[in-house]
Amino acid sequence: MNVLVTGGAGSGKSAYAEGLACSLSTQRRYLATMSAEGAEAQARIERHRRQRAKGNFETVECAGTLPTGDYAGVVLLDDLGNLVAQALFAPDGSMADEQEVLARLDAEVGRLFLHADHVVVVGNETGAEGRSPYEGTQVWVRLVGSLACRIAARADAVVEVVAGIPYPIKGAIA
Amino acid sequence: MLLVIGGIASGKRSFVRSRGFEDRQMSSRLSSGAPVLLDLDELLREGPIEGPAWDEVLSKQVIVCCEVGMGVVPIDAGERAWRERVGRTCARLAAASDEVVRMVCGIPVKLK
Repeated sequence: MNVLVTGGAGSGKSAYAEGLACSLSTQRRYLATMSAEGAEAQARIERHRRQRAKGNFETVECAGTLPTGDYAGVVLLDDLGNLVAQALFAPDGSMADEQEVLARLDAEVGRLFLHADHVVVVGNETGAEGRSPYEGTQVWVRLVGSLACRIAARADAVVEVVAGIPYPIKGAIA
Repeated sequence: MLLVIGGIASGKRSFVRSRGFEDRQMSSRLSSGAPVLLDLDELLREGPIEGPAWDEVLSKQVIVCCEVGMGVVPIDAGERAWRERVGRTCARLAAASDEVVRMVCGIPVKLK
């Protein structure tokens, strides 16, 4: 089954998504989307690593593009915000084309849904804070939202985690 | 009246289309005569909507508004007043609506 887990910052969506992934298969792969720049990012990565250590996930680094091929098990993609940021912003500060990034990532997640037994994608609720004054942030917010809409349309289930509580938006978790 | 709320790029317009409205029936201008009012949050930038303009809002079949109050309280006083206005106006409209839908990742969640 393919599930999209969304929620605000610090809502417990990663912990829920990991628990869900563990319940779906004993073969577990984690797609790491975050660039490890800065102490804050490293601390967050460390916390997520400790959380995942219990689940015996095989970690695959993916910098803005998802791996291809069949996978007999569950793939955990955490999270769309980082995936989009890596795909959208080049290290020199330049920005890729919004529609191209959307089409490519939508296709890549769609392919992942077809080729893995189970996929759990973690999204981010970023669009309910008014419009950012920065163009790059505006594009990122739109992309994270639009990509989540497309993934949700394909997913078997969508769950919003609110204060650590999974709230069903679409489908049901088996 | 149907009120559709949700974050940026959450699928609000697509949902209104799925209810049988075409793009030419949607406008972000109040006095357009279109049955669907878009971007209520932007209309509230200048100040509250009152009097005949408010009656105009209530005459719409569908009102679409971006949720804007779920993040950090803005430093700018004008921005703070605006997000407060958007929240209060949505609450008033929701009370007057037959149906209220919140979009989450393109999926309509019925609130009322």
